[in-house]
Amino acid sequence: MNNKLKIAIYSGVIPSSTFIERLIIGLASSNTCEIYLFGAIQNESNYDSNVKFAGYKNIKWHKTIHLIKYSAFLFFFRRKDKKKLDSILKSQKRNTLLDKVKFYPVLWHKPDIFHLQWAKGLKDWIWVQEFGIKVVLSLRGTQINLSPIANKSLADMYKANFPKVDAFHAVSKAIALEAEKYVAQKEKIKVVYSGLNLESIKHVVEKENSILKMLSIGRPHWIKGYTYALDACKILKDKGCKFEYTIIGAAGNIELAYQIKDLNLQSEIVLLHRKPFDTVQKLIEDSNLLVLPSLKEGIANVVLEAMLLHTLVLTTDCGGITEVIVDNHNGFVAPIRDSEKLAEKIMEITKMPSSDVIRITQNALKTVKAQHNEQQMITGMLKLYQNL
Amino acid sequence: MHPERHNKPTIGLVLSTVPRYSETFFRNKIIGLQNNGFDVVLFVDYIEEGDLNFPCSIVAAPDFGGNLLKLFLNSCSSIIKSLFLHPKKSFKLYLLDKRDGLSFKKRMRNLIVNQFLLAKTIDWLHFGFGMLSNNRENVAQAIGAKMAVSFRGFDLYLSPLKHENCYDKLFLKDVKYHLLSQEMKEDLIDNKISAYKIKVIPPAINIDFFQSKGNHTENKVVKIITIARLHWKKGIEYTLEAIHELKQNEINFHYTIIGDGSQLERLVFAAHQLGIQDCITFTGKMSQVEVKKQLEESDVYLQYSIQEGFCNAVLEAQAMGLMCIVSNAEGLSENVLNGKTGWVVPKRQPKLLAQKIIEVINLSSNERESIRETAISRVREEFNLQKQNKSFENFYEN
Repeated sequence: MNNKLKIAIYSGVIPSSTFIERLIIGLASSNTCEIYLFGAIQNESNYDSNVKFAGYKNIKWHKTIHLIKYSAFLFFFRRKDKKKLDSILKSQKRNTLLDKVKFYPVLWHKPDIFHLQWAKGLKDWIWVQEFGIKVVLSLRGTQINLSPIANKSLADMYKANFPKVDAFHAVSKAIALEAEKYVAQKEKIKVVYSGLNLESIKHVVEKENSILKMLSIGRPHWIKGYTYALDACKILKDKGCKFEYTIIGAAGNIELAYQIKDLNLQSEIVLLHRKPFDTVQKLIEDSNLLVLPSLKEGIANVVLEAMLLHTLVLTTDCGGITEVIVDNHNGFVAPIRDSEKLAEKIMEITKMPSSDVIRITQNALKTVKAQHNEQQMITGMLKLYQNL
Repeated sequence: MHPERHNKPTIGLVLSTVPRYSETFFRNKIIGLQNNGFDVVLFVDYIEEGDLNFPCSIVAAPDFGGNLLKLFLNSCSSIIKSLFLHPKKSFKLYLLDKRDGLSFKKRMRNLIVNQFLLAKTIDWLHFGFGMLSNNRENVAQAIGAKMAVSFRGFDLYLSPLKHENCYDKLFLKDVKYHLLSQEMKEDLIDNKISAYKIKVIPPAINIDFFQSKGNHTENKVVKIITIARLHWKKGIEYTLEAIHELKQNEINFHYTIIGDGSQLERLVFAAHQLGIQDCITFTGKMSQVEVKKQLEESDVYLQYSIQEGFCNAVLEAQAMGLMCIVSNAEGLSENVLNGKTGWVVPKRQPKLLAQKIIEVINLSSNERESIRETAISRVREEFNLQKQNKSFENFYEN
């Protein structure tokens, strides 16, 4: 008999972002649970046999077949459950066909645990508890740190629904504290840091740059604080510091493009489109300094990647990242929203002897290995699920 | 009756939509031209309910959106009209596009989508924004009209960053340009446009409506105000950092931001993170009457933009007797004369802005009064609708 825990990892799309995919693959390979994936299929992905797939393609006929299939299953074999869900959805005025496309497969497969990756969807999914499914919510990103501050109705939704959640997975201690503001019970929150596959890094290339090469990675959202980094670049240039700065993922952003032109930094700064993971790794390896100028952030995976690739990290004190980076020990920390201090730090780094660079990158590597390995993430998550 | 009408040119003005009630610039311009005897035809991409009450002739483009059948039918209709209603103009447009090296597909596309612009006989074809002239660079010549293009800040400075080389073709054509400031003129000259083709006509405001009551009493809590779309180019995040400095310096103030836009979340979060939420009110969008009331109750106006063509709101604030502090973005240093009608602070430097605000708050009432008087009289003399209308009349006639 199969006694494996049935866990649905839900982000709305299949495949999810890198860090969620890493969790899915890690949990599946632990062979202690079955993973269910629901939601819209964006690309075909290959998973091992412990991953069950119940997604739909975002095209009309595919969704129609998906709906007919699960409506029929439920109608013939679990009519009572279907009726109960229909009545819940009706009372919440959420009984459109699209809602049913999303919800029926979950009701049919009835996982033991429904692990929701993004908090904004909580209200839509809390009904699963009516069918004995436990709800785990990941606390990550702007949905916790930012959105409820400007959006009162979202904050109210969190306050109304967080007390119902069976367990929270926090990606950092800082974000756990933030969630407590919306009545997430402290004892239900478990901090599990995201983990990297340490074996994926085979060989680290020596950096041979004649001038400082800086790199940032991430979408051009204002929360990433790139405007402050560009203002800092202007200060560096005015002080005669020679550097190159690349932002991967920011190409096409007019605000940043205008700022670069306005500050006459076209020779120093390049905005690139999103790149495949191995290209990003190569660019990190090739850089002297990874800059995270964010205004608010959990623990950015790019920082962990850089630490693993012997690249120095300069971050702002923007949240959970200070649980990883300790200033002058395994990286550098500057205050948020302060271009002058950011520029000062960069100047300090350029003047640092190579023995200090080696000390800091070695310390960084030790931190990642101890605190952010994949095995620790999988064990932590399994423990969280098993304790429910 | 307009006795001179038959002598005046007919202006075809190209916009995206019929100007809404709050879009005073185009409304004033059209009414001004009509009052001076010009005929105005408005070409727009689409019309909405109520637009037909607009006091000039309106020609709307066919709807090329929606389903494929609609697209096909409207395309066929445009081709038939091109062939039978104005074949000469259509053929000329086709040839001119060919001369520019456009592919057959693009030439046909231009014929179909621009057919509605060929329908009327006009003397000037004036594109209200630079981007509206894209893929229409030869239409004016094809219909035998002169071509004019207005540039505002966004389309001159920001659109080319999104659509690289988008004005390359336009800048080779015989076009008369209307710009808002001398700074914009210099920047257009950098694009190898001859100065004689450029006419600077700054915006104008209704000086009878925006009129200071005269007896300006200072508030105990300094009331600071900005009226702006919540767009990054308005530099409000930098402004909030300056506001944070004011709070650090224990200045007794309240800051009101009137306007809405996509950056509300960013600004509310900045206020939260900078710990200044209690000193700030985001009111959202307001009517002109409400805006005037807010200006009447305020002391200092801030417009610390990153990019700005000229800015009507600063003119209105000056007319209402506020102390105006602006950035040096493009047209703003012509809008406000530093030290005479207000103050100009280098952009992206919130600490300097905060220092200037404190300096202005600490001015004697005589010094404030002197600035106020100069600003009010300059706005009334230089930026009134009558003067603007006269300038547009000259624009088309000379």
